[in-house]
Amino acid sequence: MNLKEFTAIAAGKTVLGLTRTLKVGGGSAAPGLYALKIYPDLISKLSRQIPQTVVITGTNGKTTTARMLAYFATQQGLRVLRNTTGSNLERGIASALINSYQADELLRVGRSGPATYDLAVWEVDEAAFNLVLPQIKPDLIIFLNVFRDQLDRYGEVDSVVKKWAQTLKHIDPQTTILINGDDANLLELRSSFRGRIRTFGVKNYKISGEKTFADKQKTRLDFEAVGVKTIGLQKTSFSITWDKFSTPATLPLPGVYHVYNFLAAFAAAHIMDLPLKPILKNLPRFSPAFGRVEKLTFKYAGDRTREGYIFLIKNPAGATQVFQTIAPELKKDDRLFLALNDKLADGTDVSWIWDTEFEKLKRKVQELKIFVSGSRAEDLALRLKYAGFDPADITVNRNLVKSLSSAKRKLSGRLFILPTYTALLELQKILAKSGVKQHYWKES
Amino acid sequence: MHLTIGYLYGDLMNIYGDTGNTIALQRRAQWRGIEIKIKNISVGDKLKKGGVDIFFFGGGQDQTQQTVAKDMQKGKGKLIKAEIERGIPLLSICGGYQLLGDYYRPHKGPKLAGIGLFPVYTQASFERMIGNIVIEVSPHPEVGLPHQLVVGFENHSGKTFLKPEAVPFGHVIKGFGNNGEDKSEGCIYKNAIGCYMHGSLLPKNPQLADWFLQKALEVKYGTKVELKPLDDTPELKAQRTAITKFG
Repeated sequence: MNLKEFTAIAAGKTVLGLTRTLKVGGGSAAPGLYALKIYPDLISKLSRQIPQTVVITGTNGKTTTARMLAYFATQQGLRVLRNTTGSNLERGIASALINSYQADELLRVGRSGPATYDLAVWEVDEAAFNLVLPQIKPDLIIFLNVFRDQLDRYGEVDSVVKKWAQTLKHIDPQTTILINGDDANLLELRSSFRGRIRTFGVKNYKISGEKTFADKQKTRLDFEAVGVKTIGLQKTSFSITWDKFSTPATLPLPGVYHVYNFLAAFAAAHIMDLPLKPILKNLPRFSPAFGRVEKLTFKYAGDRTREGYIFLIKNPAGATQVFQTIAPELKKDDRLFLALNDKLADGTDVSWIWDTEFEKLKRKVQELKIFVSGSRAEDLALRLKYAGFDPADITVNRNLVKSLSSAKRKLSGRLFILPTYTALLELQKILAKSGVKQHYWKES
Repeated sequence: MHLTIGYLYGDLMNIYGDTGNTIALQRRAQWRGIEIKIKNISVGDKLKKGGVDIFFFGGGQDQTQQTVAKDMQKGKGKLIKAEIERGIPLLSICGGYQLLGDYYRPHKGPKLAGIGLFPVYTQASFERMIGNIVIEVSPHPEVGLPHQLVVGFENHSGKTFLKPEAVPFGHVIKGFGNNGEDKSEGCIYKNAIGCYMHGSLLPKNPQLADWFLQKALEVKYGTKVELKPLDDTPELKAQRTAITKFG
């Protein structure tokens, strides 16, 4: 360890301690940000010490896929390092690498830090990918999907794919890339990479992707899910086929989009030569990432309890998939709580709600009570009116605390909480304060 | 009464929630008992006189716009122009607006020819003009468009310049508008409006949505039309909140 590297890590550790002591955040970004200023080569220097690295990118499902792969690997006794809290820019990876050092062991080289891990699983933002990739040199790259998302930040889908293709041209062909074979935009990446390429997908299922010209040409899928059946909000069952094998699987999550995340994690485990049998056996006990189908229990006076579910919504494709998943489950007395923010991490342009099929939520239950909040609550309420909901059933309050509390008041069914990203972070704090759940950085 | 919205290249040009505009037109007609359908008019499709009562044309990705520009040169552009001349209303946004001008000049490569409906031209720039936008529309009495504030979200790097005979749609209060230089936003010609306002534009500016419906009915049925008023409380609340927040 050279002096600059030591200073950078020590500074990162100090910032981490401060942010947690002062309770200004979970310390998932700031330590890395400061450390990179002191030592820009930090990521490449530290990540090289970990024997295997997997990078996951794409518009939707990064966190769930990373969490699942880490779960599989941990069960095999591997020590896994990942950027746990959805902090998926360069600074988030640097922070995770810094956090891997025990504070009191910093001076004893080799006793802590990245070298003590067997595998790194990094979820990387679509735009940050091109900057981070050359520093990491991964063994496996997973491309999950590419949908329109925060066009004010990422730009158009075509240009996201074009930049990935450019980056791939300079990647070591020893790397394997794993592609969602049902996303026609991603298939275009194949011509830009010289190394091994594997694909995954769902049989007879067409994701409503962004490809508008040629329909998706049928591609042979290396890992395929067949006969997908969703069973309520609890689980999804299907068979997985690969090589000459086929086996049934039960995923404890609802929605076809989670089948894609699972296939990616499963294929990655296979490519990394992890034994597959225990994976399938332990799969039913997998618990999702924070804010992704997260189940809550609200306590009321006299030991009464009510259930809540949190589903992150952040772009048209992801939100529409969430609506499709929960709509058939909505029962009388259930309520919806939706929160739309327009901060940088959400996208400052709220136009995307008009590309999102809120109409899909309008099923069965006629008089669904809806609570709408967040900095752009009025825009969301308007979208719901045009999706066919009666404005009289919609309560608008920009203040998240107050809106959530009225949604919970006299709740006799379940509460479905659907926030955008920064609204989710605020809700985590509100829920932690009221004792409903832990502060987010304590989770892994 | 019934109307047909012609969604120009709706399968290709529909970025940034532009579809919200057709949703707004559709619902606001239906709430008044006017039957309305949306017809996608794409590459290679035939378009004939009187087939469409309102045109809508959204924005798209760069590659797509070349395909669309080429298709418009094959007769469709000429017909759209003739329909606008007889008063058919049209709303075009961002990429659609650019393709209805004289031309779009990219950083490299040849000029992309427009159909010259609006007397404007667009040049690529390295500046991304992005953010909430509020404009003041001065009255256009010749087409019955009253003074109003309109709010949306812009996201473009093309800079559009008006030729001397062009009439801007509005004056920028907050944001960039056509080019970020002369405070003008959009262009209006007869009952056709081109602008850079996503958001989506029409749901949050219901008075403008109704103006398009009214024009369409007047042209189609040849009489003065008074639209039944609707309860626009959520619409106006969203509009006012956005104007107060960003204006």
